[in-house]
Amino acid sequence: MKAVLTGNQAIARGFYEAGGLIAASYPGSPTVEIMETLKEYDEIYAEFATNEKVALEVAIGGSLYGARSMASMKHVGVNIAMDPLMSFTQSPINGGFVLVTGDDPGMASSQNEQDNRIIGKFANMGIFYPGTSQEAKDFMKTALELSEKFKTPMMVDITSRVCHSRGIVELGDREEVKPKGFTRDQEKYTMLPPHNFKAQHFMKERIKDLEEYAYDASFNILEEVEGSDTLIVTSGLMYYNLKELNLSVSIYKLGMVYPISIRRMRELSHKYKNIIVIEEMMPFIENELKLMGIDCKGKEYFSFTGELFTEDIEEGLHRAGIVKDRKYADIKPVNTVNRPPMFCAGCPHRPVFDILKKLNVTVIGDIGCYSMAVLPQWKASHVMYSMGATVGITKGMNKAMRKNGDKKPLVSVIGDGTFFHSGLPGFVDLIHQADEEDNMTFIILDNRTTAMTGGQHNASSGRYNQADDMHVDIKALLKSMGIENVQEVDQFQYKKARDIIRQATKEKGISVIITTRPCALKYKIKEPHFYVDPEVCIGCRTCVKVNCPPIKMKKYEGIDELKSSIDPDACVGCSVCSQVCPVGAIKRSQ
Amino acid sequence: MNKNIMLAGVGGQGLVLATKIISEAAFRAGYDVKTNDVIGLSQRGGRVWGSVRIGEKVYSPNIPPKEGDILIGLEPLEAYRWSHIMRDGGHIILNTRQVYPSPVLLEEQEYPTDEIEALKDRYNIVKMDAIEEARLAGNIKAANTVLIGMLAKLLDIPLDIWEETIRENVPSKAVDVNIEAFYRGYNYI
Repeated sequence: MKAVLTGNQAIARGFYEAGGLIAASYPGSPTVEIMETLKEYDEIYAEFATNEKVALEVAIGGSLYGARSMASMKHVGVNIAMDPLMSFTQSPINGGFVLVTGDDPGMASSQNEQDNRIIGKFANMGIFYPGTSQEAKDFMKTALELSEKFKTPMMVDITSRVCHSRGIVELGDREEVKPKGFTRDQEKYTMLPPHNFKAQHFMKERIKDLEEYAYDASFNILEEVEGSDTLIVTSGLMYYNLKELNLSVSIYKLGMVYPISIRRMRELSHKYKNIIVIEEMMPFIENELKLMGIDCKGKEYFSFTGELFTEDIEEGLHRAGIVKDRKYADIKPVNTVNRPPMFCAGCPHRPVFDILKKLNVTVIGDIGCYSMAVLPQWKASHVMYSMGATVGITKGMNKAMRKNGDKKPLVSVIGDGTFFHSGLPGFVDLIHQADEEDNMTFIILDNRTTAMTGGQHNASSGRYNQADDMHVDIKALLKSMGIENVQEVDQFQYKKARDIIRQATKEKGISVIITTRPCALKYKIKEPHFYVDPEVCIGCRTCVKVNCPPIKMKKYEGIDELKSSIDPDACVGCSVCSQVCPVGAIKRSQ
Repeated sequence: MNKNIMLAGVGGQGLVLATKIISEAAFRAGYDVKTNDVIGLSQRGGRVWGSVRIGEKVYSPNIPPKEGDILIGLEPLEAYRWSHIMRDGGHIILNTRQVYPSPVLLEEQEYPTDEIEALKDRYNIVKMDAIEEARLAGNIKAANTVLIGMLAKLLDIPLDIWEETIRENVPSKAVDVNIEAFYRGYNYI
């Protein structure tokens, strides 16, 4: 049987068919859908954990017991999970273990462009690199088998295009693999000296064995063209983008990009005059070949950042002298008005950032939908790096300001998902060496879901949604840490929320404000829409500046000046625009 | 049949489901198919795009420049933005309903109405207010199904396969509205 699957769905299918039992993840684009698909299989224990570190640890536990296990996460998620990863991979693997990581060349939905093949190598893992949905499924199965055969942890590194791309996949049945059970063995599973001394040698041998296996493994495909003096070494989607050019050159397509067979590459290097490596992001394969002493070229012709499309490959190969006549030489992309993302109609973040913008305070942001407060139409958030980082950064900047005699307030914003993911340790640290001159206001945007990635549950969403089983009370949790000044506010009561936030920034000390409105995408607001009375509207644009999709200036018949207007099809009736209007021109329709 | 279909729209318009329906219909009709859609940060009112490539053998899900056969514009500005991927004389199926981006809402830039109008000089363009047409079918949420109906007229895929695919991919209580919306589009061209 065949089906059309995305790369993400195919990863999940591969794990299912291979008898996978334990799977954990933390939602992050581009890999969210893997876990959402896994949750549909009754045979598999699948969870979205609090963060990637916990997810990886759940998978490690499963593997130690001998169950086929996996963890999936976006590329930066692996940074969170690095500590257990780097120690665990020293052990001989019991149940097949795969870390699936979603890289994001071009950064369509990420804060950086790190190339996790480097982490895979750093952590002594073999790395598969699929280019289609079929490969995603096949490589997942092979990775689990090799993991057990070589007692090695494996990485499946899949790029965002391949995660979201759909293709036809041949489906197979599930083969049950019974867990082998856990056998106590300090030498294997307790990484203290001297056990970890031996582990270093074990890992080295393990990679060597895998490297030898790669020589004629079926997942590495050699396509030789009679008479070609050029060999292109590539992997993943780059192979398929290259094939679009229909060139008469030999290709070595690596299904497994690490380790690469030295024997195979040496043989090939004797046969071919030019070896060209095509890969997105870092020169990973290129560097591996160069370490083997193989003369090759890659990043000399291809960008180290962004995606490489067929036209980019053509251009690089043209510069390399392989392509003579370019088909795609004169591409002129249309240069027109940009469309940055926006907070949804009814989004509970809108009034908060409108208030902060008007207060003109420095805001240290974090990762979530509220990251969009950094966009040009807002510029209401001024620092943004990584999950949970706002808390410590705010504390540090606050301390530096006080040392410098700077008395201005600092505001930190963090969502509920991010709070639990990695904001918690920062909050625990807050009252340590607190000073009476501190002035920090923490706004926890508790929208009851992990919204940016599609509305997954988190540790407090059960308080709002009975289908979720975790009910952590953020306010009680903060109080138990010794943070006393914690208030809850309904931000759709705009003036009250504004007064509370303003007061908090004026007071010294540590204030926490929890905003209580849920995500408007997950918990839809269905109130009668609002409309503008053009006779009352003074055209001040205060409502337009709250940047809500249905609100725009419009020409009304018989009125010279532009007046505001609201698209009734898109308005959900949240009322924020009517509350910021200084003249009461915005009215509810019923 | 070899067809490269580009879809362009605004986050939240349902582009991902549209690419899914088109690709499944093509698969059921016996073609090789690959699709692409960009999701993530862009789903919140940002620009989104997708591609569906149908043929005997499809390598990359990405449509190379100037090789697009059909462009479905869920929104006019987004159709214009992606028009460079189309071959001259290719088909553009255009939902005329404008969604202003932030720079236009904030009166910093003009909506490129003239440029969108000029698309007809290079491409074979069919326009429709798909939201209004879907409202007539019973629900404005079926707007994309109207556009899929228009697309179906340009593809060699039997109608019963389209019907079956739509049935399996829309909420059960919305099946009739979507089938109606599909034929409103199909019969429009």
